[in-house]
Amino acid sequence: MSQSTPQPIASPVEADTPPRKSRSALFVQGAIWGFVVLELIFFSVAGRFLSVSDTAFLDLDNMLLLLKQSAPIGIIALGMTIIMINGNIDLSVGATFALSAIVLLDSMTWPFMAAMGDWAIPLAWLFALGTGVVLGAINGLIVWKTGVDAFIVTLGSMLGYRGLVFMYNGEQPTSHLNWTLVDFAEAQFLGLHTATWFLLGTVLVLWLVMTRTVHGRNAYAIGNNREAAVNAGIRVGPHFLINFMLIGFLAALSAVVFYSESGSVNPNDGMLYELWAITAVVLGGTKLSGGYGSIISTLGGVIAIQLLRKGLGYIGADTETVNLVIGLILIAVLFLDRQLNRKGSEELKI
Amino acid sequence: MTRTLTAALAATTMLTGAAMAQDTMIIGITQNNVGVDSYQTTYEQAFIAAAEANDAVETVVLDAGGDVARQIAQMEDLIQQQVDAIIIWPTNGEAVIPAVRKASQADIPVIVTNSNIAEQGQDFIASFSGPDNITQGQRAAEIMCDKFKADGIETEAKIVQISGQPGYTTAIERAQGFEERLPEVCPDVELMETQPGDWNREKSQQVMEAFLTKYDDIDGVYAGDDNMGVGALNAAKAAGRAGDITFVGATNFAVGYDAMAAGEYWGSIYQSPVDDAEAALQTAIDVLNGEDVPKLNYFDTPKITQDNMQEFDKPVF
Amino acid sequence: MTALTKAGIGGLLARQGILVAFVVFMIVFAIANPRFIDIDNVSGVIRSSAILGVMALGVTFVVIGGNLDLSVGSMMSFSTIVVLDLHDTLGPTLAIPAMFALTLCLGAFIGFLVGYLRLNSLIVTLGMLSAIHGLTLMWSGGQNMDIADKWGTWFGFFGRGSIAGVPVPILMFALAAVVLSLVLSKTPFGRKVYAVGGNGTAATFSGVPRARVVFMTYIISAACVATAGLMQASRSLGSQNTVGQGMELEVLAAVILGGASLLGGSGTIFKTVIGVLILGFIQNGLLLIGLEFYVQYVVTWVIIILAVWLDVAAKRSRLWSPIA
Repeated sequence: MSQSTPQPIASPVEADTPPRKSRSALFVQGAIWGFVVLELIFFSVAGRFLSVSDTAFLDLDNMLLLLKQSAPIGIIALGMTIIMINGNIDLSVGATFALSAIVLLDSMTWPFMAAMGDWAIPLAWLFALGTGVVLGAINGLIVWKTGVDAFIVTLGSMLGYRGLVFMYNGEQPTSHLNWTLVDFAEAQFLGLHTATWFLLGTVLVLWLVMTRTVHGRNAYAIGNNREAAVNAGIRVGPHFLINFMLIGFLAALSAVVFYSESGSVNPNDGMLYELWAITAVVLGGTKLSGGYGSIISTLGGVIAIQLLRKGLGYIGADTETVNLVIGLILIAVLFLDRQLNRKGSEELKI
Repeated sequence: MTRTLTAALAATTMLTGAAMAQDTMIIGITQNNVGVDSYQTTYEQAFIAAAEANDAVETVVLDAGGDVARQIAQMEDLIQQQVDAIIIWPTNGEAVIPAVRKASQADIPVIVTNSNIAEQGQDFIASFSGPDNITQGQRAAEIMCDKFKADGIETEAKIVQISGQPGYTTAIERAQGFEERLPEVCPDVELMETQPGDWNREKSQQVMEAFLTKYDDIDGVYAGDDNMGVGALNAAKAAGRAGDITFVGATNFAVGYDAMAAGEYWGSIYQSPVDDAEAALQTAIDVLNGEDVPKLNYFDTPKITQDNMQEFDKPVF
Repeated sequence: MTALTKAGIGGLLARQGILVAFVVFMIVFAIANPRFIDIDNVSGVIRSSAILGVMALGVTFVVIGGNLDLSVGSMMSFSTIVVLDLHDTLGPTLAIPAMFALTLCLGAFIGFLVGYLRLNSLIVTLGMLSAIHGLTLMWSGGQNMDIADKWGTWFGFFGRGSIAGVPVPILMFALAAVVLSLVLSKTPFGRKVYAVGGNGTAATFSGVPRARVVFMTYIISAACVATAGLMQASRSLGSQNTVGQGMELEVLAAVILGGASLLGGSGTIFKTVIGVLILGFIQNGLLLIGLEFYVQYVVTWVIIILAVWLDVAAKRSRLWSPIA
């Protein structure tokens, strides 16, 4: 907080060009990683006194697990970052996640698929990813064509897609345990788990998209000032559509990565994932009003949350403490963030 | 509030005390969703109390909050921490199988508690300890049928069912046991409709309100647990129809016991979370001591009705 | 009101589209199953909707003020558990004001963060959703909370009683709706809520104390939640810790169905009441015609999108969005 005083006052116009970050922006984006380091130190020290376990918290294997466990929410949160840079939001990702998972597992039991042996696996992945893209496209089209706020559109489809999840198989879980798939998902390549590779791959691709492509620049421009973006000739509708298809794809990818390893989906799975993903994105410093945010910082936000959960379990905190602490930390981080860039979005609030 | 404090204090003293000892067993547990109902909360308290009473045992107690991804992560954490045994209360009886296999590959025995995992996972577990939910459903059907026979309406009775949270093994197995057994003992009783009450008293009350509007003639209600059963009873009382309906539940809660004592609620299945927790811990200890443990370790869950309820203590939860 | 008469019948239809939809919906279901409009059923649905309804009234203020409140479900669980616990320790007469005071403290905390510190309401209330759940679990030790002497207390009045044949929850819902509707439409404070939500910055420049108005909307929301918690506790005389879980989204759906814009500045209490009733009757109607509970999710989805779309379309007087 104390270091925020000498900041140059960033005008809304300067904030238009996010890839060239000012020093204060770099500092703010680094804040989440500072928080991650703080958590690591805290849990290592506290764990020495409170944990029953003999293994250290900072053990390499434990850190590798941390990355792997961050993947399900993480992959979704990365997509959510782009949606929120646009100034939109997607509340339906949890339901999309569950429906894609059902398609993934159920499709492998279809007769022609079962006849293909293990070759059915890549096809099942394609079906699941396709499901995600289609569900995302439905949201995107509605947002584009009706002009209804994305929050409302996706609040509706959060219910609607969840209804479809239940209609698919009633209240029963959908299961298909395929050990080839499990072995693939549990494999470690260069020490990193399969899920971690997918997470890091997504980070890399989306980081390139957001910093090196026209699409990425447009995303910031639209979030900053939609009118100006339209005047500059950006087609906002198709842009939204693409991003909603992208987050649908990523929700499905997250399901593919996770359910390849677990082989059974309950109709309630993925509930509240949207809220965790949004939390991670906001912890990473992305503004809900749009126009500002970074993929790398979202990764920091995701890791911070998973670390908090893991660490609280490691030192033996009980359920009520975990709920209380996670809620209050979210608010505290939001407050600190506000103090660090007081001038950021105040004037721009819709 | 005080309860948390004492638990925390107790936990600290236990940990520091145990750190001295060398030969303690470290047992990790990942539970389904603590705090969602009294049963799970009482289970957790009983588990911690039982572990504290035993000097040879230290525990790592985790809660998955009903989220299967979090539970798998907790399994991985426990394996990574090299605990001596893992007890799991599965959020999903199939999704956790690969994680269970991972533990078994790391030579950590896994004990499944309360709600069993699916067939494919049986090779990887040391034992299952818990109630037999299918039998519970069957017994509930018998209680219901016996009551109808006593009332002389077994040829015409119509009933509805309020099931537990969709997708959870316990809910599925109880409904399955009930639906299989009922036609065997009372072939003429008609099960008109089943709706989920999500283990939630309020939700169950709403479902029952809709049933009461929809059906003029309801002779019995089977609820997946007493919490929901009492919700249904409340709805029927509000509509002035409770007297005509036989209520049968499962997992006898204190509220169900009271309603039984008041003569409003007919019967249930007596299942103690304390027995459940202690059985799981004991099974884990037996496995670690190299004793021969049966694969399916059911603890008994007898029928309880207004007729025999004085044989049972009032549940603490 | 004058604006309505000027706009004529066509304008009325466009503005009250949600009301028209509601009437059509009721007729269709009544034909499908006459029992649907049976007086007992109608009264039953309104009674069941009353708790959600009272919460939606409060959230309407928050939303018109340009903010969100996702913490109401969690807060309702808190109120319910607290009042049930205090009932047996303090007695019902003291328990009710004590529970209101505690719930209002939570509302004041949120109002302070969102109003005075200007933190984003979505994230603040999301954080509070989790934090208040933790508080509830600490209060109850995770156990169900039940009144020991269920039949010897007058506490059941708010949830089970009736006056002149009308259930008390319905009366409380109606009373709250009338009072809050008057506050919103007839008082200077009500106008300030619209002003703050319509354009926060302009409202500050024109002398409306934004922070205080936003703070007050959260106080009103918390008061409504406490009322709902009282009704809930009184209705069941015992409760789980998760009784209000997930209600925040149902509440929001009802408010949106009623046509309150999430950008703030628009919405009325009357429309929110219609939104609440639509959700209640959809749920009940689908159960009555024997559809599975999850079909109502899909139906709600379609109805929300259509209702909001028509509302937006009427405002810009063209069906399709002008987005390129």
